[in-house]
Amino acid sequence: MSMTLSYDRLSEEEKHRRFLDRIEKGEKIEADDWMPDDYRQTLIKLISMHGISEIMGALPEKEWVPKAPSLRRKLGIMAKVQDEMGHGQLLLRVAEDLMKPYGKTREEIMQDLFRGDLKFHNVFHMPAPTWGDAGLIGWLVDGAAIITQTNMLKASYGPYARALKRICAEEVFHAQHGEAIILALAEGTDAQRAMIQDAIDRWWESLLMFFGPATSTTTGTSKQDITIKYKIRTKTNEQLRQDFLDKYIPRVLSLGLTIPDETLRYDKTEEKWVYKQPDWSEFKNIVRNNGPKSKDRLNLRINAYENNAWVREALSPDEAVV
Amino acid sequence: MTNEGRNFYQEFEVFSSKTDGGQVQHQFSLLAPNEEIALVMAQENFMRREPAADIWVVKRSHVRKMTQEEKESLQRLDNKEYRTTKGYGYLRKKWREYEQNILDEKEIMSWGEDKQK
Repeated sequence: MSMTLSYDRLSEEEKHRRFLDRIEKGEKIEADDWMPDDYRQTLIKLISMHGISEIMGALPEKEWVPKAPSLRRKLGIMAKVQDEMGHGQLLLRVAEDLMKPYGKTREEIMQDLFRGDLKFHNVFHMPAPTWGDAGLIGWLVDGAAIITQTNMLKASYGPYARALKRICAEEVFHAQHGEAIILALAEGTDAQRAMIQDAIDRWWESLLMFFGPATSTTTGTSKQDITIKYKIRTKTNEQLRQDFLDKYIPRVLSLGLTIPDETLRYDKTEEKWVYKQPDWSEFKNIVRNNGPKSKDRLNLRINAYENNAWVREALSPDEAVV
Repeated sequence: MTNEGRNFYQEFEVFSSKTDGGQVQHQFSLLAPNEEIALVMAQENFMRREPAADIWVVKRSHVRKMTQEEKESLQRLDNKEYRTTKGYGYLRKKWREYEQNILDEKEIMSWGEDKQK
């Protein structure tokens, strides 16, 4: 051990330089490794938000478990809801290990969520009134999530990259589950086709918002610069949104469905989609828990937490000692 | 509810093997109040699809991991040829002079097999 330099003896600048060196070489940073504070804080914010969004995202879909139109669909959507909760568990573990030096635990994550300090994804503040919405969530909301998550598969933070690898493998099932529902409706009656068109019209703005504003000037904050600098991801919000439009617009149109934006077009010279900007002030409003379903969903989570308090008490290791 | 959440959860590391006697691989970590629930959670969280023949859960506090500094000490120096067959490669040529083959790894590891006629 005498051959290596003691990390503790290095100056902060030297530690920082070595850290950047490791990232540059493609090495993975692990939970107990030295890392700069802004790296840790960016990861905590990103991953706790991602983890809690998986859990909050299961809520609009869970509504459709008892109402799914067939046993097969019921089993499919149940499996998906279970996956989302599992993804939440994985991601919260990654966030919790990062929070450890600050003395924070899952308890604080939950309390932050209940207080409104920890945000969840804009799409999960929206209603899912029809079976068309259930299909659309699997198809396009998960599609959007796959675009952002696959962009971080090689993230410099090892535990997050490994969690994402597991998650993305299951997202393939989610995407096909959504497509199966949508294709069945698209090949069905006029009423069924109208149901998916309604769902697209309802979700379009939320889907554009999903990737976040192009620059921080739109909403005041954006983590994209620091996440790119630290090689947590490689593409900007706008690049991810363009990727999504590239992949999904042709599929939506191929089913004879329309996009609720008359200005939408592909600019061949600029090689990008030109589209009507969503209302970014509304986006800010929604993620501050003022969306149409924000309060209901938060209450569902709070009730589940409080109703299960007795289970935690009964199983508490403190109780066992007494 | 003040202390409840903090003391309820303990950290467990989860390991599993895909087949009987197969290599045990680290999967991920989870929070659970005790070993029994950790096992249930491990199955729920990590084995929903992939095959599993066995699952182990280990309290994280029982795992002594290496520090970043210790991990760096694992890097091998590239001057250990005397420990490996690489440092004795010239023997092949030598034995050839005596019209003999080298007893390399492939040859030696094959000696335990039953000869088939």
